[in-house]
Amino acid sequence: MQSARSLISAQKIAGYGVAAVAAVMVLYPVFFLLQAALDVGDPQVRPPTAYGFDNFNGIFQYPQILLNTLTVSVAATVMALVFGFVMAWILTRTNVPGRHLFEQLMAVPYYLTPLLGALAWSLLGAPESGFINQIWRALGGNGHLIDINTAYGIAWVMALFEGSVAFVMIAAVMKSMDPALEEASQIMGASRLRTMLRITLPLVVPGVLGAAIFVFAEMLGSFAAALVLGTPSRYYVITTAIYQLVQQYPPKIQIAAAMGVSLFAVMFFMLFLYRRIVMAGSYVTITGKAFRPRVADIGPLRYVLLGICLLYLFAAVGLPLITLLYASLQKIAVAFPAAGNWTLENFRVAVTMNAVRSALANSLLLGFGTATIGVVLMGLLAWLIYRSRLPASGLIEYVVMFPQAVPRLVFAFGLMWAWVVFPIPIYGTLWLLLIAYLTVFLPLGVRTIAGVMLQIDKSLEECAQMCGASWGFRVRTVTIPLLVPGLVAAWLLLFIASVRELGASILLMGPHSKVITPSIVESWFGTSSELTAALALIQTLVVAVAMIVLVAVTRRVGAHPAD
Amino acid sequence: MEATQALLSPQGPTPHIEVDRLELYYGGVPAVRGVSFNVFPGEQLTLLGPSGCGKTTTLRAIAGLEQPTAGEIRIDGVTVYSSERRVHIRAEKRGLSMVFQSYAIWPHMTVFENVAYGLRVRRAGAAEIAEKVHHALDMVQMRSFASRRASQLSGGQQQRVALARAFVFSPSVLLFDEPLSNLDAKLRADMRIELRELQHRLGITSVYVTHDLEEALAMSDRIVVMRDGLIEQTGTPDEIYRLPNSAFVADFVGSANLIRGRHRPDLDGGGLIALETSAGHIVYGMAYGRPVGTEPVVSVRTVHLRISTEPPVAAQNVWRVPVEQTVFQGDFTQVHVSWGEQHLVARCAAMEPLAVGRDVYISIEPRHVVILGA
Repeated sequence: MQSARSLISAQKIAGYGVAAVAAVMVLYPVFFLLQAALDVGDPQVRPPTAYGFDNFNGIFQYPQILLNTLTVSVAATVMALVFGFVMAWILTRTNVPGRHLFEQLMAVPYYLTPLLGALAWSLLGAPESGFINQIWRALGGNGHLIDINTAYGIAWVMALFEGSVAFVMIAAVMKSMDPALEEASQIMGASRLRTMLRITLPLVVPGVLGAAIFVFAEMLGSFAAALVLGTPSRYYVITTAIYQLVQQYPPKIQIAAAMGVSLFAVMFFMLFLYRRIVMAGSYVTITGKAFRPRVADIGPLRYVLLGICLLYLFAAVGLPLITLLYASLQKIAVAFPAAGNWTLENFRVAVTMNAVRSALANSLLLGFGTATIGVVLMGLLAWLIYRSRLPASGLIEYVVMFPQAVPRLVFAFGLMWAWVVFPIPIYGTLWLLLIAYLTVFLPLGVRTIAGVMLQIDKSLEECAQMCGASWGFRVRTVTIPLLVPGLVAAWLLLFIASVRELGASILLMGPHSKVITPSIVESWFGTSSELTAALALIQTLVVAVAMIVLVAVTRRVGAHPAD
Repeated sequence: MEATQALLSPQGPTPHIEVDRLELYYGGVPAVRGVSFNVFPGEQLTLLGPSGCGKTTTLRAIAGLEQPTAGEIRIDGVTVYSSERRVHIRAEKRGLSMVFQSYAIWPHMTVFENVAYGLRVRRAGAAEIAEKVHHALDMVQMRSFASRRASQLSGGQQQRVALARAFVFSPSVLLFDEPLSNLDAKLRADMRIELRELQHRLGITSVYVTHDLEEALAMSDRIVVMRDGLIEQTGTPDEIYRLPNSAFVADFVGSANLIRGRHRPDLDGGGLIALETSAGHIVYGMAYGRPVGTEPVVSVRTVHLRISTEPPVAAQNVWRVPVEQTVFQGDFTQVHVSWGEQHLVARCAAMEPLAVGRDVYISIEPRHVVILGA
């Protein structure tokens, strides 16, 4: 009896210990971010000598940046929603050929990252050197056909990428709608159009609205596309402005912090709104039950819709990859290369250059470290939040999910500011990057593992207990074997996320702790676009291999359902 | 306390499971609000009640899967939970076994491994495991499925495996948490009989939770009817069915007509109690030793209401009434009649259809008019 008591309390202590570590990881940098934002004293002196809100007024010295941010975010959100809605409607509600394959392919744009898209579309659409504009001039056109270095260019690239997120969210809403609701309307004598307007649309509106808010929040915090496409034309949005203010000499840390805090406050509000809408307004997702939606036979029109699907995937995946490959195989990337222009030199340089090799090695090392430590830490957190009966589990969930609302760049800024003054000198080392990755990927890892954990019916563990199995035996024979596929999937997701991380890494990496994605950006601005294309392709290959393993693993999870 | 319980128990002084003033709160919300009952060796006791009545929570508290807020639970005389003495023995140490509502068949193991689990926990030898598992699978007619994976089984087959897994290691008590509720009606009826037979063959003490009346009546030695975290009535299936002690039990355990009236002691006699309804009908019933208040409520099962077109010979409890509605339901016909200010429902064996509005005679034997406890 005594042992039972002490075991429970040991469990509690361990639980609170892990929760405390997570809380420190999340809240410590946020504290320093807030401190910097409210510091109105001498910027050279720490801790601050005076506090106030003047930095927030300072933001309005840059009205153009706020306007730019809004323009890009709104344009990108509208485009992403159109992509997402059209694709979701086509793939869930019509008999377009190959819809199940397309549904799976829709995840690919998300894994290509906005950085890759931005690099490729820059090669395609830069006003002077862009391939499309070269072809345009070759065909007799004047000036340039498209200019990717504008607000709409940035929005276009971001929307291509975020379109797959919008698709997933909207398709889920469409799938969770009971087809009987529409059939009932038809039985009552309503026409197809009337059913569409009076039943279908009102039912999906809350879900689409939720997706809109979510996507908009993501757009506000997005960084890579604006960095690559906006910097040449000095077109700044809030994230790139923060980066610029921190990187320039002398840095304007305080204003940057105020911008970061404001951005994060707006995003936090957006995500709060999103949660409210998802919880309250969405009639169709309440049961969480998936229905087989009614598929409309649209006759020969389906080949037109097939064309639309192919077009989206081509613009988001095919074209960028082909472009990068095309550019990476040339000495000077042009639309119509001469025979002597072809070369493999870029790939040779990419794999032999010391800086690149160490960056790639560091990224892989960090990927392994983040994924391995992350799975243990986030597995424990997921268990604490969703399976233990700790009284504070709701609070822990909030803290752990907090980084979701903070752009990674802003978070890294807080981390940087926090660890510069930390007595243990880890600033500029891989350790800081490891801490940063573990923190910013908390929501990703916890959510992935929790998803699998919640699928496992609680009675599977209880039944082992009723058979007389001790806690250790139960965990070994039932819990872990059932969780393994989910943990492997989480490991791979964390690995992929780490290897392609940009926003946090670009601020936190030191001269001796370079990682691959910021190195790609550096190479883009500093070396050559051809070498950059080769680097981006090599990184994509690494991620693709991990992806293929991930898909194979998730297939296996699907093969033996855990309920 | 123990002495009183020994006196109260009808079958002798050594209960196998004793649940004593059990309370269980989730946060501040009561699920069980003070429940006491005993289960005797070899007995099959059923906790019956609507969802949310606390029956499953009570079962899980016995299992050790929920920690109660107050009270005491003893198994084989050993205290496994006591709020006063701060004892809470973990589920795996209690030597019980359980069949779950979801079956909880482990999807990553074969049927054989699922059933062998409890034996492996107890470090049985390979030969013993093989023998016992095959014997258990034989008893549930699943031997030929031993090497199948759980995901390849139908619901009924999973149910049988869950059952074999539960009794293979000879636990002292078997707990059942609505084990048949996920099966279709036909299979449920078959499994009910099988379960009962198996329970008799094993002679094992069991506690069974269900919201299904027929299941409870068919399978139990004794039934505990629960409502809102409290025990409403305890008794044999026959007692519960014939002599419900409250309107809730009367209505929950099969369909019943409830009749309210004023006690007319002046008309009592011959062991019968008379009451007068607000419409002026005099109804004779029996108290079965229960106190009769001034305004008693009686219960009459719908099957005990007789309907005839000719006047019956009985002198008491006969009325001429108009038919309001008849509903053909296969094995029986449900007849609704208007009776003073209320309606009565009768279930009759298949009969000639009655025209709506025609007058018929209804009669009730006084022994079927049961006075409910206050």
